Amino acid sequence: MSQFWNAWNKRKDRLRNQTLEQHANKSMDSVKDSPVTSVLEDNIVLIEQQFGKSDDLVVRRFQITTGKDAAVIFLDGMVDRNVISDFVIRSLTTENVTYLSPASNELETTNQLRQIVRNILSGNSVLFIDGSTEVYLINSRGWDRRSVMEPQTESVVRGPRDGFTETLSVNAALIRFRLKDPNLRVKHLIVGQRTQTDVFVMHIDGVAHPPIVEEVIRRIENLNLDAILETGYIEQMIQDHRYSPFPQIQNTERPDKIVANLLEGKVAILVDGTPFVLIAPAVLSQFYQSPEDYYERFYIASLIRFIRVISILIALLLPSLYIAFSSFHPEMIPSRLVIAMAAGRSTVPFPSLVEAMFMEIAIEILREASVRLPGPIGPTIGIVGALVVGEAAVSAGLVSPVMVIIVAVTTIGSFASPSYSAAIAIRMLRFPVMFMAGLFGLYGIMLFIIVMLVHLSSIKSFGVPYLSPISPLNLMGMRDLFLRFPHHLMKLRPSMFRVHDKIRMREDDQS
Amino acid sequence: MKRQDNGTPRYGFTTWQQTCLITSTLIGVGVLTLPRTSSSRLLEAGWMAPLVGSLGAYISIWMIAKLSRRFPGMTFVEYSPLVWASKESPKLGKLLSIPWIFVYLSFIYVATGMVSRIFGEVVVTSVLLNTPLEVIMITMFLLAFFLSLHDVDVVARVNEILFPLIIFPVLFIAIASFQKADWSYLFPLIRVSGKSIFEGAYEAVYSFSGFEIMLIFYAFTQHNSGKEKAGFVGILMTMVVYTLIVVAGITVFGYEELQRLTWPTLELVKTTQVPGLILERLESAFLAVWVAAVFTTVANAYYAVIYGLRQCFNKGMVFQRIASAFLFIPLFFIALIPQNIVEIFQISSYIGIGNLVLNLGVPTIYWIVLFLRGKAGIPKERKADG
Repeated sequence: MSQFWNAWNKRKDRLRNQTLEQHANKSMDSVKDSPVTSVLEDNIVLIEQQFGKSDDLVVRRFQITTGKDAAVIFLDGMVDRNVISDFVIRSLTTENVTYLSPASNELETTNQLRQIVRNILSGNSVLFIDGSTEVYLINSRGWDRRSVMEPQTESVVRGPRDGFTETLSVNAALIRFRLKDPNLRVKHLIVGQRTQTDVFVMHIDGVAHPPIVEEVIRRIENLNLDAILETGYIEQMIQDHRYSPFPQIQNTERPDKIVANLLEGKVAILVDGTPFVLIAPAVLSQFYQSPEDYYERFYIASLIRFIRVISILIALLLPSLYIAFSSFHPEMIPSRLVIAMAAGRSTVPFPSLVEAMFMEIAIEILREASVRLPGPIGPTIGIVGALVVGEAAVSAGLVSPVMVIIVAVTTIGSFASPSYSAAIAIRMLRFPVMFMAGLFGLYGIMLFIIVMLVHLSSIKSFGVPYLSPISPLNLMGMRDLFLRFPHHLMKLRPSMFRVHDKIRMREDDQS
Repeated sequence: MKRQDNGTPRYGFTTWQQTCLITSTLIGVGVLTLPRTSSSRLLEAGWMAPLVGSLGAYISIWMIAKLSRRFPGMTFVEYSPLVWASKESPKLGKLLSIPWIFVYLSFIYVATGMVSRIFGEVVVTSVLLNTPLEVIMITMFLLAFFLSLHDVDVVARVNEILFPLIIFPVLFIAIASFQKADWSYLFPLIRVSGKSIFEGAYEAVYSFSGFEIMLIFYAFTQHNSGKEKAGFVGILMTMVVYTLIVVAGITVFGYEELQRLTWPTLELVKTTQVPGLILERLESAFLAVWVAAVFTTVANAYYAVIYGLRQCFNKGMVFQRIASAFLFIPLFFIALIPQNIVEIFQISSYIGIGNLVLNLGVPTIYWIVLFLRGKAGIPKERKADG
């Protein structure tokens, strides 16, 4: 029986380690890949040497019922001490066991030093028994983790309230809990030579296009970073166009969004230690869509989506339109308004480009300050900045009243985008458009838009053109673009991600 | 680090992309003068000019599409040697095809320069009064250069995304100006003789030049079929838009007044009023949006020239980028050769006719040669997408 047990464990071990080993070998060069000895004291010294006598390495010695000496080694704070004292030590010291087995729901054996060190580092505890080269790896991870809370960045009025946490296993469970499909596949990778971060790559087998999944895994495997502290590292390293201002991989804190995207044939990348999960490939239209669009009725959802598109355009173009109109094309503004505007601007000593730049930079400073300030002060600064400074600037004759309105609307518009990473791209691009408008008026704005569209057309995210479904035109995908068609009209998945199981709703399922 | 293109299949042009490509290339600066040029001979029957003038384009695009179907996946530059000589003597084929390729590429090249010149003139005379003409032309060239840095499938996607931006403003202007239309300007319906219909149509031919870029771009289609359809639909859409604009011009101004307007379409825009009076005069906005239409004309043609050259010399992407940067310098000076607007219109009229002769003549010659050599059979479409 014991032989079978050992063989079983070894096999499991080998399978799991095939992937682990490939990546970790490079990174853990300092640890010799050698088997441990059967003398307990030698082993303990060996482990202590690897950790350079770090003070948080705990070695607990005790005697098991058969009379042999044993020791449990773990890192302080990373393990659940109850597991070790109640289940490991008590079961081994009090019960009369014939076959030694610490009570734990996950147990493996090994004799390789490198694997032992890696397990200690990831929060497992290691059991050495004198006279045996078999070393038990006990899953006793238990550090303080944040509980599942409502995500801070993407709030919805209607929809689930749970968000991802910093713990990988909890995040994976949040997805599994919503998607009870055995075809959901998880690929475990270890990235970062020093951080040894666990990464899960998830997709639904039979829906996602296998080359896309393979490409995602291949790019993550080829990463040679020494540290992965957040999904942002992976995102920036694996995206197709690293110099583009536009995000080509989406990130979210919402499990429901991940599940919806997995069902569209995309791939999710989960990283241990961050609540942000990546979705690849991503297209431009995803960045103004919110999961709420699918929960509310389609009229309202389409209207709100439309408003978001308009607000993004406002955030990008409104200041430059003001510059273009007021300095190049005053004839386009209705005559009464142009008189009022001229009256407001009569005290302003700067050209409208300088005026707009001035206000936009001021509002950017305000935004950044209110993010950094501690909680209760943040909104206060916003009010002080917007009301007091804006009003004072107008009465001091530094800016015109219209400019204040424009800046305010622009800023609010940029908040309406559900995706922060896309919103900051738009925020940034506002400045070059303003310069172009200052140089050539409306012509300059159009030049910029064309350059931007050419660039957007040239981007692909994992082989999917970034502007699809508009170009290349995909009429099925268009049903979920600006308008959100009713669910019964979206029977097929959008084909731009080259899904395999194309059917979302079967005819006979309808009542 | 250069990425390998694993798992990222090449996208061929869809039929819709080909249609967009043709329409957006055809619609360019021609629209701005079309109401005047087409009514100069035909008078109040000027709306016939785009209808008759497009006939040549239909025949020509049909032949070009058939040529491309005969040699699937090949551009004009690649299949020309195969037309002129057998595969066993590539040198002879190359030698015989060089004049045709040279004539085509240089023709498109010069036409591109003229388009950017006309656009510069319009912008400088009507919107940006203090900006030098050269600056406008250089910005337009820079845009085309930027497009030339990218792969050929980007061209298709750019045209597809800009397509609504090109079609809708001109449709809007045409339809909105009908509220001021005096339909009696169109009567009597047919007063001119059959001979002068063709003479008048000749003036509109320039507006239908540009589709010859499909000699290059038809090579990148997803499927071998559907090329003729894309060509016909593309030219048909252009023809409808042109006819509407001409009808709008004639009904609003009358043909006599039209002859005194340099940019009749722009004048149409000036008379248009937006309901609700959000914006008062629209011509700046129209010209700004019009940049997209001119950009697609200039950049597509320029891309075709550069790509043709690249294939002539059997070079790769790096050559394309370097060549596109340097070929602008001669183009800039070519575009500056005409001294004034009258000369420009004269030259563009010559270009239009030269274009018609070339587009009708060269494919005809090619087909005759193919028939004489007994190689005119179009290969069957493969089932798998190639």
